[in-house]
Amino acid sequence: MDMSSSYQRVPSVRIREMKDDFLKFELRDTDASIANALRRIMIAEVPTLAIDLVEIEANSSVLNDEFIAHRLGLIPLKSEKAVNMLLSRDCNACDGDGRCDFCSVEFTLDVKCTTDQTLDVTSQDLRSSDLSVVPVDSLGQNTGSMGDAALEQRGILIVKLRRGQELKLRAIARKGIGKDHAKWSPAATVTFQYEPEIHLNETLLETLTLDQKREWVESSPTKVFDIDQVTQQVVVVDPEAYAYDEEVIKKADAMGKPGLVEIISREDSFIFTVESTGAIKAADMFLNAINILRQKLDGVRLSFDTQEADDQFGELGAHMRGGL
Amino acid sequence: MKIMNAGTFTAQREDHTVGNVIRMQLHRDRSVLFAGYKLPHPLEYKIIVKIQTTSQSSPMQAYNLALNDLDKELEHLKRAFEAEISHKQNEYY
Repeated sequence: MDMSSSYQRVPSVRIREMKDDFLKFELRDTDASIANALRRIMIAEVPTLAIDLVEIEANSSVLNDEFIAHRLGLIPLKSEKAVNMLLSRDCNACDGDGRCDFCSVEFTLDVKCTTDQTLDVTSQDLRSSDLSVVPVDSLGQNTGSMGDAALEQRGILIVKLRRGQELKLRAIARKGIGKDHAKWSPAATVTFQYEPEIHLNETLLETLTLDQKREWVESSPTKVFDIDQVTQQVVVVDPEAYAYDEEVIKKADAMGKPGLVEIISREDSFIFTVESTGAIKAADMFLNAINILRQKLDGVRLSFDTQEADDQFGELGAHMRGGL
Repeated sequence: MKIMNAGTFTAQREDHTVGNVIRMQLHRDRSVLFAGYKLPHPLEYKIIVKIQTTSQSSPMQAYNLALNDLDKELEHLKRAFEAEISHKQNEYY
């Protein structure tokens, strides 16, 4: 039995920008497969809460019942406690009925329009049975916002009612993952890009006139390069704006200077941008994703029986190779 | 046809998310001659991982080693991320 060596990598993280619903960070010294796996899990397998069952008592609005139920499902709910909750099908307390306190949260909505003005039924009219699970405030983050006081804290519009129309319903929110239905996905967008390394060939640059340099710098659709005012040299102003289109390379070839710039993508360095819908904080989304990936890898471990069979066959193989 | 030190593992209810990670980790193992995964059919939710190793190791050993290394790597990543978050929050307050 040889000593099994470890082929473990040691990844490093550096956060560039962190807000409640937005996170931009650099991930280094790890493989693209891990970065992609985490991205896929953040979009599809981080659990959140969303309205899943709607019982409508009265609906005289212009939208039909299932339309309103669909819209209610898409409202993002603050899902901090989703991680600790059980999936309703796994819940023991309510026999999988999906309505007890351990696996669900109940909401009620009861509005009737009595004035001549159109009444906007928004997510703020939803009354929750658990105050930690409420619809996400669209503009709740902005403190001291300028301009319209009417824009502040209006909530997500569900339906508009006219005089005499009413909407009365009970809704139950459950835990789920994005794979089942997109309403459970906590991610607005999750992207990552390879970090580019840009090397400018100084000697070739010297042979260009200022106008040629300017022309070359402007051939890039995104602002990657610029001409330094003082030294009249081409400098790299924002390497990450490079979208891996090869316009600058083609322009250099067209100008008769191939090899003017060399751009390689570093295969082990990624820049992640994570935007959340507000259901879970962006940083929590990433941490949950790591935990879920570990759980999945744990789930595909070999069982003990197969290990024992391998021991038997291992010896058999050793015999076939000519004795232990 | 039986090949020495080659094994096929089927993981139910898994897809590229896990398959690609395991495959890339297996490639780093020097005793692994061949490592690949596929989804036999996109409508069926399972993956097949094929591993062939040198006589120094066995497919099971390689598989276990890969999973253990990945677990340690993710543990390290989690701690690094949590440290970075608290570092950032201390900067603000």
